[in-house]
Amino acid sequence: MLSEIAIIVVRGIAIGSIFSIIAMSFNIVHGATGILNFAQGNMFVLGGFAAFFLANGAGVPLWLVMLAVSAMLVAACVTFQGWITLLPLRSSVEQDSWLISTVAASTIIGAVLLITQGPYAYNVQGIAPSFRILGVRTPGAYALAFGCMLFWFVALRLFLTRTFSGLAISALSQDFDAARAAGLPVRRLQLVAFAISGLIVGSAGYMVAPVISVTSDAGLRYVLNGFVAAVVGGIGSNLGTLIGGPLVGVVTMLTAYRIGGAYQDLASLLVLVAILMLRPQGLFGRSSARRV
Amino acid sequence: MSATAGQTMALPPAAGKRRFSSDLPQVWIGMALIALTGFGPSLVGNSYWVHTFQLVNIYIAASVFQNFLFVDAGQKSFGQGVLLGLGAYVTAIFFGLHNYPFLAAAAIGIAAAAAGGLLFALPALRVQYFHLGFVTLSAAIVFPQLLMSLDRWTNGINGIAVSMPDLQKEMVFGLSPLTLIVALYPMAALWIHYFIRRSRLGRRMRIAAISPEAARTLGIKPGVMRFIAFIIAAIGTGVCGVLYLPTVAFVSPQGFNVELSFVFFFAVVVGGRGQMLGPIVGMWIVFILPNIALAQLVEYRLLIYGVLTLVTVMLFPDGVVGTIERWRLRRSVAGRGEQAFRVDAFLDTLGAGHDATPGEDVAVEVRGGLKKFGEVVAVDRADLTVRRGEIHGLIGANGSGKTSLLNVLSGLSRLNAGSFVIDGREATRMAADRIADLGVGRTFQTPRIFSQLSLWDNLRIGIDARVGAGDPGVARLAAALEREFSEDSADLLSHGQRRLVEVMRTVLKEASIVFFDEPAAGLSQSERANFAKLVTFLSRRMGKTIVIVEHDLDLVWGVADAITVMDAGRVVATGAPAEVARDPAVQHMFVGGRRA
Repeated sequence: MLSEIAIIVVRGIAIGSIFSIIAMSFNIVHGATGILNFAQGNMFVLGGFAAFFLANGAGVPLWLVMLAVSAMLVAACVTFQGWITLLPLRSSVEQDSWLISTVAASTIIGAVLLITQGPYAYNVQGIAPSFRILGVRTPGAYALAFGCMLFWFVALRLFLTRTFSGLAISALSQDFDAARAAGLPVRRLQLVAFAISGLIVGSAGYMVAPVISVTSDAGLRYVLNGFVAAVVGGIGSNLGTLIGGPLVGVVTMLTAYRIGGAYQDLASLLVLVAILMLRPQGLFGRSSARRV
Repeated sequence: MSATAGQTMALPPAAGKRRFSSDLPQVWIGMALIALTGFGPSLVGNSYWVHTFQLVNIYIAASVFQNFLFVDAGQKSFGQGVLLGLGAYVTAIFFGLHNYPFLAAAAIGIAAAAAGGLLFALPALRVQYFHLGFVTLSAAIVFPQLLMSLDRWTNGINGIAVSMPDLQKEMVFGLSPLTLIVALYPMAALWIHYFIRRSRLGRRMRIAAISPEAARTLGIKPGVMRFIAFIIAAIGTGVCGVLYLPTVAFVSPQGFNVELSFVFFFAVVVGGRGQMLGPIVGMWIVFILPNIALAQLVEYRLLIYGVLTLVTVMLFPDGVVGTIERWRLRRSVAGRGEQAFRVDAFLDTLGAGHDATPGEDVAVEVRGGLKKFGEVVAVDRADLTVRRGEIHGLIGANGSGKTSLLNVLSGLSRLNAGSFVIDGREATRMAADRIADLGVGRTFQTPRIFSQLSLWDNLRIGIDARVGAGDPGVARLAAALEREFSEDSADLLSHGQRRLVEVMRTVLKEASIVFFDEPAAGLSQSERANFAKLVTFLSRRMGKTIVIVEHDLDLVWGVADAITVMDAGRVVATGAPAEVARDPAVQHMFVGGRRA
């Protein structure tokens, strides 16, 4: 009984860390462009595929090199996709176009993976040894997920507050027109934001590949859970995702253990609907002033 | 009076104009195309194409409702396949597994689809934009999972087979009842879409989708509009599900995965968002191309959907039909310059004769109004009294809180402290749509003119927002405007004309209290003079109470009965224009002429 609770909490937080990471990758792009990239889940899965093809069963040095390679490969994909998405946009508010093109991009990536890799789940060997926590034997990749979340939280915070590009991206998120008027290279900054979001999901997908489903159709599930985490935390708030992600993770784990694995996605859908009904700005979101 | 007015407004005749909207011809073409594909194969006896187009036509109907939801209500749903699936599956469960009569089972199926639509619609009351995209996409992912795991009711992966031979029996010309029904239904769906769009509900839905805050000042609750749209679309799509059952004769979880929802969505985008013909052309391209024309490439179909859609967004953002339509409009639209929109002639139609003078009773009163945005105090314990029938100028430097106060008064934002009364009604906590229903109208700094609507419909949404019976003079005015502008585009109006359209909208709304937010900004000298006359007309001839926020002090001093001066959120002076001009707190504003 007690061990079951421990399993639910430990694994829930670990899986939730992944959702939190995806939510952070949403936030940086959303701040800079107003876009929520639906293809982010498939980009995350691409990281998992990279782990399978580049570093399955590799030793630590090769694994580390390939981590950087994979993150950069995915970042290149996301940047290219971001470039395409931004092409028809003159401002950040025309949202029909990005909504459609990111969903289309997500479908294309999923379709290409299906055609080239088939509908199979790929097993990736972990680099980190399993360990015991709260008396529960836990795969090492779970610890990597948690660490990856903390790493990106700190890295993003430093980037957004200490570097010129980061500050400029923060400025974009606060007042797009003013930032443009102040002469910031808006389009370049937006591509930087896409690239960073690619580094985030690429590195995360690579590191946690052993414990996620590396399949052609898994992307949508991750993008949705990442979105729920972002909404629970409040879109735009990375601090919020640190709570939102693990919360969603524990809820889905609880559902899996108590009701059945098939109901996990239903549980996160219900969490999403509930939070949108009760507190649409999320736990840490600010309700922005309306402009007339 | 009205007879002579009818002559004075004998402007260039409206005859010979191209129609502004091609919706109606598109519906007729759509009917013809559906009839051709729905009945043609039966007539020539090709059973493969009979069956194919039965399914295609059901999908077209579902896309028509997606199109309605997407454009008329502005809701991007990725979950319409779920609603079709609910209609089909629930009907199959009751008809196929529990032997209910088909019509009873179908009714339950449609009710289930409506309930599913409710799940989408509830969050729509609170949020919009991409949030709903994610809610509906989640539903599309969860739905087949539930069909699998609730196998006690759904038969799980085995699905449910049904047999309805009666519907497949050929009657005349090789047509079966099923063929007839599944061809008639998308036609009906087109007409439903067309008539909703032309109705008051449809116009209000569109305004709510394009500009929620303008909608709220016209008495519209955008959340409720979204809610209604979701329910209509859910029921319409549920019926598609019911028809799916006899057509395919089998339901299984794989048939209703997220791909189905994407097909409906992508068909609308590729065909042309908002175009009546869009779903038909789009479904032919998106569905028929990979599934039938290139059937040997069927495993590439997801890729083809995605690529077609991406290419469309990049190269023809209006879709196939929309691109053609845009091309047609570009050829036909010519600006009418000064004549495009003039109101002086029309105002004669009103025949409002009474000479109104400002009364003593209070129309709007603010007591200690405090409005903060974070740490910034926009309105600082302001008091304001506006008497009935007067023109009240509200002036002050940029950032002094004038527009913030106006937004509070029209209900678009709420006071942090203090209160205000409109027409004797405590309105501090009222939502914008309820304040609008008290008889308040307003214009915006950037005029809210909707290029998707004809010029007349842009005016007519004012009538749509009217509460209670209309004034006969205004009805005559409306009729004259309708004759003149029903086929005109609002796109090529000058800035000054756009302002006038917004003003006329409040006239047609028969608002008794009107707020103008910097109405003279961007107007030429002569336009300003005309505008001043119009404001005086509205006040003195029509008895409206007017609050005008404006930087052109000459204009304000020329028309206002009372003036309130704001500075850094506080009211620093208020009273008759002559008094206020002598106030030392105000004098510095006039350095170098009367311009703040």
